[in-house]
Amino acid sequence: MTSGRQRRRVVPDYMAAAKLTVPEHISVERTTIVVVAPEAVTDGLDPPGSHLIALLREGPLSVYECAAYLGLPYCVVRLLVAGLAETGTLLTRAPLRADAPDLEILELVLSGLRAL
Amino acid sequence: MASAPSDTRISTDHIPVKLIIAGPFGVGKTTMVDALSEIKPLNTEEVLTQAGTLVDDLTGVNEKTTTTTAIDFGRLTLPGVVLYLFGAPGQARFQVLWQELARGALGVLVLADTRRIDDSFAVLDLVESTGVRYAVAVNNFPDSPEYPLEAVRQALDLHPHTPLVVCDARDPVSARASLIALVEHIRELMLT
Ligand SMILES: Nc1nc2c(ncn2[C@@H]2O[C@H](COP(=O)(O)OP(=O)(O)OP(=O)(O)O)[C@@H](O)[C@H]2O)c(=O)[nH]1
Ligand SMILES: [Mg+2]
Repeated sequence: MTSGRQRRRVVPDYMAAAKLTVPEHISVERTTIVVVAPEAVTDGLDPPGSHLIALLREGPLSVYECAAYLGLPYCVVRLLVAGLAETGTLLTRAPLRADAPDLEILELVLSGLRAL
Repeated sequence: MASAPSDTRISTDHIPVKLIIAGPFGVGKTTMVDALSEIKPLNTEEVLTQAGTLVDDLTGVNEKTTTTTAIDFGRLTLPGVVLYLFGAPGQARFQVLWQELARGALGVLVLADTRRIDDSFAVLDLVESTGVRYAVAVNNFPDSPEYPLEAVRQALDLHPHTPLVVCDARDPVSARASLIALVEHIRELMLT
């Protein structure tokens, strides 16, 4: 079930041309929460970076949401976030490991769903 | 391009919980994410190589050998937790994508269509290969045959304890009831 858009370039040219600083070890995941660092210097960023910063100005989002709003694949935005987190421009919060679920979290989910 | 409504922002003190809505082609995954989500459901692209592996650097992303697949993404904020809902396709060629998506997921709700029961096998195989706990919800369509649930359970070869419910993916109340059945099952497994 491909989206039928294979002929479009997955990574836009401006993105491919951008100087991405990609750290060696990347801990950014789909549900990692991203926020602009309070003291971040955001001048002089490449277009993808400045688009991301503009998107995050209004508050935190998950990496997956950033990708959807930017119209870029997850794999691209993941690297973008990792690079900007390494330079201190963005702060990230790693998702909790829910595969060993905590009873307290389960109860929160259950009572929350039941109350809706 | 880089705009999103500001009322779609979350507070960072909610615990993120990942849930997957899975199922074969056309079963109602997008419809259910839409019914559950507080934000307009989003579409994020995953890039895969022909071999089915995920592309995780930029070299090669524009190659002819890559394809993209869209994953539905929705969000539901509850007191103390934020549910991230991933609507994911269940074809066998998405094995690698599934291993990744399932990492850290609380559970999977598998949607089944009784008009095409056999289409669910590939999905169930994928889900079972990840080890993530799951429940099955039959999404009824107007022309769905009316099988007793026990017959569906047998046809799908489900474990006696795996929850099997009927839902209407378009109806938020019904969609939430299916999620509740899934989470109650996970809690029971934890307590026993
Ligand atoms: N009658 C009825 N129609 C439904 C229901 N759920 C989904 N549909 C319809 O079935 C069609 C397919 O639903 P989708 O939500 O797009 O299914 P999907 O699993 O996302 O499909 P793909 O992404 O193409 O695999 C749409 O036209 C929906 O409106 C349901 O519970 N009842
Ligand atoms: Mg869909």
